[in-house]
Amino acid sequence: MSDHVDGPRQIGEPATDLTDLFAFTSPDNPAHTVLAANVFPSAGVTAMFSNAVNHSIVVRRVTVSGTGDDAKFKPSAKEYRFSFRFDVLQHADGGSKPVQRGTCTCPDGQTLPFVVNDEKGASTADGVFRVFAGLRSDPFYLAWAPGVLKKLPNLLQHDNVLAIVVEFDTQRVLSPSEGSLFGVIAETTPLPGRASPIGVNPPRFDWVGRPEQTNMRLNNPGIEGTDDLRDLWNQQTPFAIADELKPVFHQKLVESLTNWDLRDGKADWSSGALHAAANVYLDDFLLFDVSKPTSDASFFEIEKSTLRGKPYATGGGRTVDANVVDMMITWMVNDDKEFMQGGATSATKPGMKTFPYEASPNTELQTVADSVDLAASPDQVWNLIGQFGGMWHPLIASVKLTGEGVGQLRTIETIDGKQIIERLQAMDNSQRLYRYTNVSGLGVVDYTGTFDLKPKGSGSSVEWGVQFLADNQATLVVRTIVATLMKTGFEALTKRFGALK
Amino acid sequence: MIEVPEIDLAYPLTDGDIAVNNLESARRHSWSRFWRDPLRPGIAECIVEQEQLTAQYVGDLGALERLDALVRQLYRVDADEMRTALVHAQVASMGHRFAEARRFLAQAEAHGASQADVHRLLLSIDQACGTNLESVLEARRKMAAESERLEDLVPLGGLLADLREFDEADSVYRLALNVYEDVSPFAVAWVCFQLGALWGELVPEPQSERAARCYQKAIEYLPCYVKARVHLSEIYLHSGNATDAEALLVPAVSSGDPEVNWRLADVLAAMERPEEAEAQMQVARSGFENLLDQYLLAFADHGAEFYSGSGNDVGRAFELAMVNLANRPTLRAFEQAYEAAVAAGESGRAANIADAAKERWGAAQAFRLSKLAETHVDKSASEGATA
Repeated sequence: MSDHVDGPRQIGEPATDLTDLFAFTSPDNPAHTVLAANVFPSAGVTAMFSNAVNHSIVVRRVTVSGTGDDAKFKPSAKEYRFSFRFDVLQHADGGSKPVQRGTCTCPDGQTLPFVVNDEKGASTADGVFRVFAGLRSDPFYLAWAPGVLKKLPNLLQHDNVLAIVVEFDTQRVLSPSEGSLFGVIAETTPLPGRASPIGVNPPRFDWVGRPEQTNMRLNNPGIEGTDDLRDLWNQQTPFAIADELKPVFHQKLVESLTNWDLRDGKADWSSGALHAAANVYLDDFLLFDVSKPTSDASFFEIEKSTLRGKPYATGGGRTVDANVVDMMITWMVNDDKEFMQGGATSATKPGMKTFPYEASPNTELQTVADSVDLAASPDQVWNLIGQFGGMWHPLIASVKLTGEGVGQLRTIETIDGKQIIERLQAMDNSQRLYRYTNVSGLGVVDYTGTFDLKPKGSGSSVEWGVQFLADNQATLVVRTIVATLMKTGFEALTKRFGALK
Repeated sequence: MIEVPEIDLAYPLTDGDIAVNNLESARRHSWSRFWRDPLRPGIAECIVEQEQLTAQYVGDLGALERLDALVRQLYRVDADEMRTALVHAQVASMGHRFAEARRFLAQAEAHGASQADVHRLLLSIDQACGTNLESVLEARRKMAAESERLEDLVPLGGLLADLREFDEADSVYRLALNVYEDVSPFAVAWVCFQLGALWGELVPEPQSERAARCYQKAIEYLPCYVKARVHLSEIYLHSGNATDAEALLVPAVSSGDPEVNWRLADVLAAMERPEEAEAQMQVARSGFENLLDQYLLAFADHGAEFYSGSGNDVGRAFELAMVNLANRPTLRAFEQAYEAAVAAGESGRAANIADAAKERWGAAQAFRLSKLAETHVDKSASEGATA
């Protein structure tokens, strides 16, 4: 994954774990630049930021100091730093959700207070800076098994992250007339404590420049049995990798890029080009040029053109919707000869064209699942419950079927006079499994139920699982209804077939 | 007054409310992912970790039931055999079903589980059962020296405490705090709790004040830490401070852990509020019995402690202590079973337990510090006098 859970240390506090970094021209206002960094892979819907972590996005002006196999991007010393800090939770009376507030310190020293998850964000009085922090749909998507390059569905489907977004007036903040090419990184660091005497920088928990530096290049999943350098890398100072460690990282990157090149059985890269690419990756910051356009396709164009000895044509950067994994895999495996499309063409939700640009968070599906073990053969039980229009549940008064096969509707009248309509989505008699969705009658959306019957010992085991989102009624009410349906149904089955001993 | 070394962490920690909020949030999300795709790499293992944290810190004992459902579902969907066996072993170990855990760990190993994963869990099982402790100690020392990480130092501290090497255990726990450079409060609260148990319960002459400071720190880092609240409330109650003990326990009642109701019943009785005390005691009794009904091995020692105390059923206490002893014959389990036998008037069986303890633990340094060693001295002395 981009930088998701990219070192053993991150497993301790997920809220310090940076996943992705973005830099692009605002689609809403071309005079503005947007920088965004995400933390907390697979954050739940109530996730909050750590109050013990400083989250920074740091920009430095960069010059191209070499091209072709000598390609080199040199950062200047001056930095533009956006630092986000967060407070403890504030609990309001009446059991409402807790509120978290935060503050962004801008490069010019202005501090900007904001409320987490407020989509409007907060702006400085002069209108130069606008910031947002809160839960968003994870814009990253990875649809490969990277070790073997097998296509998969998006591994981060329905996931959320905690995002920090800053939008600013490009001219007033970055003064592009002094040079329009920039490098950006994001880092998470601890707040000052015993181990950080004055003048000594604290160690960082994590940092990220270009996507996949750690999980795909430094720790190439296609190479087994080598040292995991990710924690060592994460402890390096961005824009200033330790000179004594550069050969170690460089060698690892060359080995990794060589392995990627050969994944399709062909060597598309010369040795010199591989070493040059490794050198560029060693300077791990996301490059963007504010004088040129950014788009979903401009990611990494600055580096590629420079490595090819040509002037770059775009603003590079990385937009929220850029398909960075497939772009990088294509480049590393076949040097852009043939695009390698993974198993998904977009993230769970596309980004937005307006502030805060990252899409609204995904709602958590509720799950109710139960099972019962019965003293009857799978065939006997399936003959009863495997009929979509079967009348075996004691709370059902009648079932009427409309249509046939997948797409068939069943209209259920319950014994207390309610009507529920459900649609057959899949039926697999060989696996003794069927899946259905609710059309109406339960006050839910995205309701999917599954019946799954398996042999067990001398009998069988029935699993009934339901996932749903409550619609205009309390989740607990729906959970109770569904749980009661299951319990009553299973009691009836046990009475009919007997319990498996 | 005992001088208590200050706990001096490298960096400020994430506030306990945020950490627990995020744990709960992430746990729910993991389950949602699991039900969508139970075969997704790493998801079952992630849930096991999150449920362990939830049980350990939030006192949500429903975690055991949920983990059993996880294992059942892995079998239903024909998940990879090695992975399922390893998760099964972890879940069984968490429920103190150690024989079952060993069986599935062997199965996982046979299907290619990594030696490191197998070794780590095996060490935990051996340590929990008091088996092969010399080699466990050697391995724990080696792991701690190599990694110098909190997660390896704390189990070493726990083992040293089991072996009654109290000062060294204390040093190892403090080293664990000293080297900790993360911001999650869970691990730090855990170490503080361990230090509290060490000085408040394990040493021959408990130092209540010192233990209280450690438990207070644990609660400061993690306000919802149910077990720390329970243990600190006991110290408060014994020092005559029932009001503070009640204030500690009341917010923890919603966790559903019957130990909270039990201790609260004791506090209310001390405050001369007998009706409320009886109500809490009834909740505690039914809570323990429900847990014992579902997870006998996991709660046998706690149940025995409850019934030996104000749960007031010495026969049941003895029965449960013997279940625990059979499951994991640690020195502590022998001590508990011996005391329960004596309290139940089973003097013959108490003597048998003492003999068995000597046979298993007599050569260990820890045994000399045990009350069971004294019983043998008394017995020898009385036999000598008779002769």
